[in-house]
Amino acid sequence: MKKLFVSVAATALVGMASSAMAEECGTITMAEMNWASAGAIAHIDKIILENGYGCNVELVTGDTMPTFTSMNEKGEPDMAPELWINAVREPLDKAVAEGSLIIGGEILNEGGVEGFWVPTALAEEHNIYTVKDALARPELFPGAEDDSKGAFFTCPTGWNCRITTGNLYRAFGFDNGKFELVDPGSAAGLDGSLAKANERGDGWLGYYWAPTAILGKYDMTLLDFETPHDKTEWDKCTVVEDCPDPKPNSWVKSEVFTVVTDDFAKKAGPTMDYIKGRTWDNRTAGKVLAWMTENQATNEDGAYYFLENFEDVWGKWVSPEVAEKVKGAL
Amino acid sequence: MEWLQEFPAMSRGNLREMRQTIDGGFKEFTRAYGDAIESAFDPIKDFLIFLEHLLINSPWPIILAVLVGIVYLMSRNAKITIGSLVALCVIGYLGMWEDTMRTIAMVTVCTLMAIVLGIPLGILMARSDRVQSFVNPILDLMQTMPSFVYLIPVVMIFGLGKVPGMIAVVIYAIPPMIRLTNLGIRLVDQDVLEAADAFGSNSWQKLTNVQLPLALPTIMAGVNQTIMMALAMVVVAALIGVKGLGQPVLNAIANQYLTMGVMNGLAIVAIAIIFDRATQAYGKRLQKHSEVIHG
Repeated sequence: MKKLFVSVAATALVGMASSAMAEECGTITMAEMNWASAGAIAHIDKIILENGYGCNVELVTGDTMPTFTSMNEKGEPDMAPELWINAVREPLDKAVAEGSLIIGGEILNEGGVEGFWVPTALAEEHNIYTVKDALARPELFPGAEDDSKGAFFTCPTGWNCRITTGNLYRAFGFDNGKFELVDPGSAAGLDGSLAKANERGDGWLGYYWAPTAILGKYDMTLLDFETPHDKTEWDKCTVVEDCPDPKPNSWVKSEVFTVVTDDFAKKAGPTMDYIKGRTWDNRTAGKVLAWMTENQATNEDGAYYFLENFEDVWGKWVSPEVAEKVKGAL
Repeated sequence: MEWLQEFPAMSRGNLREMRQTIDGGFKEFTRAYGDAIESAFDPIKDFLIFLEHLLINSPWPIILAVLVGIVYLMSRNAKITIGSLVALCVIGYLGMWEDTMRTIAMVTVCTLMAIVLGIPLGILMARSDRVQSFVNPILDLMQTMPSFVYLIPVVMIFGLGKVPGMIAVVIYAIPPMIRLTNLGIRLVDQDVLEAADAFGSNSWQKLTNVQLPLALPTIMAGVNQTIMMALAMVVVAALIGVKGLGQPVLNAIANQYLTMGVMNGLAIVAIAIIFDRATQAYGKRLQKHSEVIHG
């Protein structure tokens, strides 16, 4: 293997880099997760890997649990560019220990922020800055089936945050009969309800996370939990389905990493350095996502926008030669 | 020769501008009329909630007896009745009673809506070729347009929950009702209509006493198809927060819970078979009845 690397490096120096690397890199299957920041980074990776490293990248649609399970059990796809570690902490640690999965770079270097949000205009008007403030004013949050109750929009069916949100909902006392936990059914449903409330100037209370386009587009305020993150309680109860007596707790910053399969890491060669090295902050990601929503751009458009306008960010991820090749392809 | 290989498409910028303009227009529309449209649907929403609460909050033996009783009255067939009783008991025993009741309430209201809207439209189509040529392409569109596409605008107007779900289900389930009403009336024999004319029937009498009774088996087939399609849409409607058997199915898909998915899927199938057998047996009885009269 080492010999092969040396020979690849040598041919690269001689200037036959692209063809040699194409042979070496081959086809990569990459999960394009079904939320915007992960979709954008998947397309950025695709453009850089295809044009800069001569790979052939195939994107497959993914979601946290299905993609992780498939990578863990079947070694497909090769790579999940943006995996939210908290959701799969235990099986991931096990897979890393067994050597079947490898953690690449920390793609979001500030991590993801999860929590309960309300529209900023409403927060300022009614002084709602903490979870307790919201709890006291159910009448501000329409959308429940029973008009006399406040609506609390939880995480879509099948997402891990749904269990956490459900437990925290009970822990903070939202199950006092004045609120209703509304299941939006899907990510599109959750976004739709948030967008509808903001377009109409209504109140909205529920789970969301950053960096996301919709939080770039609509001005939302993260409610303060007024409790530090309690790891023991979190593992023991907050993330456990049907935990009998959840206590108030708060989210910790989510670590967001790229995860690749072991097989891929072995054959990846120089592309692995790229995968380990690239990272962006929430501000940059937010800017790209906001541009994407404003312009109704696809993930691919967003990737081109990023590569055209943020060379100072991605220039550091790759060698100058690769950067030239990528620029040539834009 | 590149222009031959690649279709001359609109530029990316123009395309984006077009999408933005249309979306902007729709947002303006929801801001201006959203509340009014939403409250117009309040009575239906109230009825749906009432029916659901009735089914869930009443003691289960009563509901079970009523449902099985309805099946018996429609089918007059012991086998179908006992089959329904067993299926409902198994569903209840496996802990899916409440979700099943929600789904039955939803499907019942959607089917009623489809019948109330579909039959008059079908009659109108049967009476005028021009209406038929206009409505047919719309029905094609309703049946083939992926439902996810119209779920988004529906949520922007109605928010999450029952009413948008019901609208999505009715859009998908109403076409067979309209088509088969139209077909049934058009298939009524010209000679019979001439005979009715000869007896001096006016067109209302012809419709209610001749055309509709003779078209009834076909119309019943339409009702049956509408129920089946409404049940099939239950899972999709769960994507916008409709409670019922669809939500556990979605949950099962997302987490690869095999048993949970199959169990809830089979519950949907069981309700479908009960509805199907009951309505079909009812349709057949109606037919037999008319044959005896003409006898």
